[in-house]
Amino acid sequence: MTCDEFGRVLPELEGGHNLEQRAHLRVCPSCSELVAELEAISREARFLGLEDEGEPSPRVWNSIEIALRQEGLVREPLTTAVVPFPRNVGRRLTWLIPAFSALLLILGLLVYQNGGRRQLAESRASGVPAQPASVPSVDEQQLVELVATGTPSLRAEFESDLKAVDGYVRDAEESVRSHPNDEIAQQYLMNAYEQKAMVYEMALNRSVP
Amino acid sequence: MRPELGDLTDAQKSKNAKLSEAEAIDRAKQGDAGAFEALYHLHKRRVYSLCLRMTSNTAAAEDLTQEAFLQLFRKIGTFRGESAFSTWLHRMAVNVVLMQLRKKGLPVIPLEETLEADDESPKKEPGAEDIRLAGSIDRLQLKLAIQNLPPGYRTVFLLHDVEGYEHNEIAAMVGCSIGNSKSQLHKARMKLRELLKTNRAEKATRS
Repeated sequence: MTCDEFGRVLPELEGGHNLEQRAHLRVCPSCSELVAELEAISREARFLGLEDEGEPSPRVWNSIEIALRQEGLVREPLTTAVVPFPRNVGRRLTWLIPAFSALLLILGLLVYQNGGRRQLAESRASGVPAQPASVPSVDEQQLVELVATGTPSLRAEFESDLKAVDGYVRDAEESVRSHPNDEIAQQYLMNAYEQKAMVYEMALNRSVP
Repeated sequence: MRPELGDLTDAQKSKNAKLSEAEAIDRAKQGDAGAFEALYHLHKRRVYSLCLRMTSNTAAAEDLTQEAFLQLFRKIGTFRGESAFSTWLHRMAVNVVLMQLRKKGLPVIPLEETLEADDESPKKEPGAEDIRLAGSIDRLQLKLAIQNLPPGYRTVFLLHDVEGYEHNEIAAMVGCSIGNSKSQLHKARMKLRELLKTNRAEKATRS
């Protein structure tokens, strides 16, 4: 089998080769390398399919909701409640609250540490001893100020992101309170917390030296 | 009154976990607003990611996501459960994207063409002989290279290698033969190989 002949059948092959094709690949480094590279591209591409490219903005759901009502597909008043499904849930949900609290505490400590270092530097410069600091409660406003100090242009973006994700969290928490056994509501809440953590992480990555 | 999950066996718990989406679908069929919203939030990321990969444009991806879900909700009464709901939705989203590409006059896939031997046999590429790809594909570079593919090649490559559709499914969706789908996929991979090697050669020259 020649390289030309192999090249002609290559589009038809999906990882499987007959005896003749395998024999050609054994003796032809060029075709062998081509096959390996094409397979590598295909393999890597599959990972792209698993990547999460994000989510659409809230206006998409708003537009869908409006269209559904206009088309008469919604037959009840719109509510924020999700469909109740009797489930035993408590175990799935209970770890979320301390985990999120721990995350907020860690973020609060980071904010404190950065504020503390600045305070120490300032006090050294001025000759005034620094006030002993205690760990503050997690304060989003402090985080906003930290972002604004390091990267003022990002403050508006961070505040906007925080506002949007807080709305999302509030809705999700309300859904779970209304329907504690609802698995979809729990998933909704998990997604909301993850998004809030991501907003914090992004803000800190950009502003903490 | 349904038994609490803790009282059930593992098999029954697994069965109940699948009822969650199924019940949302049933309620959506009856026009339950909360059910529509629940289904949307469950699947929005995957649909949006698909649309974004196929259009490389966030505004277009949002519009197509919206359209895909609207079509889904309009047709939800016809869903019989023969396939997984997510599979059904995914297919619908792909069709919405393909329809949009056709409306824009972009070639979804070139017409049937014969294979040309010159295009298929491995060539020695001058200046890139030492550049090997196998085992070290840069995913970001691959993403950029995909965006630079001709639209027809990109569609088939995305549907097959990225989204995992088989050639018979692609042929049915885009309206071509299975042979053409295979041919376009091969050409897409060859073109990507060329783009990746060129990129790597340029980087090697700069360093």
